[in-house]
Amino acid sequence: MAAVVRWMIDRFGMREVRDHVLHRRVPKDPWYQGDGEAMLLLFAIQLLTGIVLAFSYTPSVVEAYNSIRHITFEQKLGWFVRGLHYWSGGLWVFILFWHLMRQIATGGYKKPREGTWLIGVLLLFLVVVMSFLGYLLRWDERAIYALRVALSIFHQVPWIGEQLVLIIQGGPELSSLTLTRLYAVHVVLGPILLAVLIAYHVYLVVLHGTLASAEMKEPLETVAEQKEVYERQARHPYRGERFFPDTVVRLSPIPLATLAVVIALTLAFGPAKLFPQGVGTDATFPKEEWWFAWYSALAALLPPSVAGYFHWLFPVVLFVALAALPFVDRWTDNRGARNRPIAVTVVCLVVLAVLYLTALRLRSPWTAWPRKTPPAVPVGVMLTERTERGRVLFATYGCNSCHAVAGDGPEFAPDMARLRQRYSLEGIRRYVMDPPAGVAMPSYRERMPEEELTLVAEFCHVAQTFPRGR
Amino acid sequence: MRRRTLFKWLLGAAGAVMGSVVVVPAVISAFSPAGRSQSRAWRPLGPLRSFPLGDVVDAAVPPRREAYPVEVAAAQVVYVWQRTRSDFVVFSRTCTDLGCAVKYDPGSEFYYCPCHGGIFNKSGERVAGPPKKPLYRYATRVREGVLEIDLRSVPAMA
Repeated sequence: MAAVVRWMIDRFGMREVRDHVLHRRVPKDPWYQGDGEAMLLLFAIQLLTGIVLAFSYTPSVVEAYNSIRHITFEQKLGWFVRGLHYWSGGLWVFILFWHLMRQIATGGYKKPREGTWLIGVLLLFLVVVMSFLGYLLRWDERAIYALRVALSIFHQVPWIGEQLVLIIQGGPELSSLTLTRLYAVHVVLGPILLAVLIAYHVYLVVLHGTLASAEMKEPLETVAEQKEVYERQARHPYRGERFFPDTVVRLSPIPLATLAVVIALTLAFGPAKLFPQGVGTDATFPKEEWWFAWYSALAALLPPSVAGYFHWLFPVVLFVALAALPFVDRWTDNRGARNRPIAVTVVCLVVLAVLYLTALRLRSPWTAWPRKTPPAVPVGVMLTERTERGRVLFATYGCNSCHAVAGDGPEFAPDMARLRQRYSLEGIRRYVMDPPAGVAMPSYRERMPEEELTLVAEFCHVAQTFPRGR
Repeated sequence: MRRRTLFKWLLGAAGAVMGSVVVVPAVISAFSPAGRSQSRAWRPLGPLRSFPLGDVVDAAVPPRREAYPVEVAAAQVVYVWQRTRSDFVVFSRTCTDLGCAVKYDPGSEFYYCPCHGGIFNKSGERVAGPPKKPLYRYATRVREGVLEIDLRSVPAMA
């Protein structure tokens, strides 16, 4: 047996890999550096489940949706494979974000690791694009509107925006060519680029190592200094260790936990919900996948003067800023989070901002939407016959598209039970007829019969006294 | 020039020629949908009597399915407002901010975008939210009592 192994190591040229990769000595890495291993694991899951999905998926606008339904509901364990693909994709973006934050906080991109960092930045953008393309292929309502959001962003690009839309869409109309293009990028081009870039990233990690604890002790001005400090720790009898299996085992908590979470999420929630087939004839309520929620909130907060160019400028600026970071961050040669207060502050602020925006997106207080049902009457409140008619008219005239009453309804406009000032009956009538300039409310002058206006005003007048709710 | 330098140059040149013979046609072919034709694409929306005067109604253009590429209907549900006897206003449902489909509310006579809070009034002007431009408006014409719109008169993704 041993002879066979020796023969294979020799004939398949594995000696170099064994001696210089698996058995090389590295500084003992803290457990949290396992996020990289976790992403390798996720990539493997994506490849395997993606290939299985590709066996059954049909990239045709007529059949794509049905093929996903078939995978989910009829193919044996298809739901599980789709679930793994979906959750590992989302989690990849999540872990990649932490990986990025960690490198910024500790200065993991400092010399001689600039190349590793730049390949990583490319991977960041590629993974985000892949995670977006993945849910377009479902070709349900949400997929189509997600695609149109992306196309609208490309349309903002000055001079070539229109051409970019035509190239991505495959023509002047959303058509079967659109889906085949998205499919080709997600299934052929994307995975090839991912595999190549990940391999290169890992190769550079092996070559230059990752940030060692000894490097955090004092500023390292030259690459020679860094190499010496790194090598000294790697060779040290107990501050260094053999990469395989010692380091791999030490770093295994995060990958193992990641795998457990992916399987748990798949079992608990199944694959992503399928919305009605994407034909676009119904008004729908599109929503991005959870890892883009923060960006959606950001988009909603932009004033019109900025929103017109923000969406193409943001990724470009982000890319340039990240790519330039190792070459700009040269005031000190300090490494490690403890020596980098500014970087740590920035990272904390970014994380807080993303969490805040995500929570805000869940509430979406900016969204007004037509509702047919009149606002609920709070418990313990009795309406007269007239105010009850006013309540119904409140919905007929779309007041409840924007206004909540005692907590029931959208947050876009003031809740009628929580107005900042108390209005008289006549005051409400005047407001409805002529909303002040700058208020996003339609004038109902000449649209509402006198009697109905009075009824709505009476309801609003009473609603001011409702218990505030929520 | 040394022999080795010459060989390097020749190899580089040969590689460039071989590469461009493949790369250039591939790129041209992949990017061929660019360069939008100026031609118009008139599509019928329905007979004039199906659009009540003064009200906003939605109308669907059946997607073309007979020729390749097969169209998806998504781009082709529109809002039609017969403002006066002779004046038809046809809006794309595509929000001018990021392209989600707006919904018309006859109660408030506003268009609401479900994504980022864009609101437009009956004339398509922005009332609230991030949108900067008014709703995309199609060119219209009437042929033999049927209202038609030009699909190419709005941006390609609208």
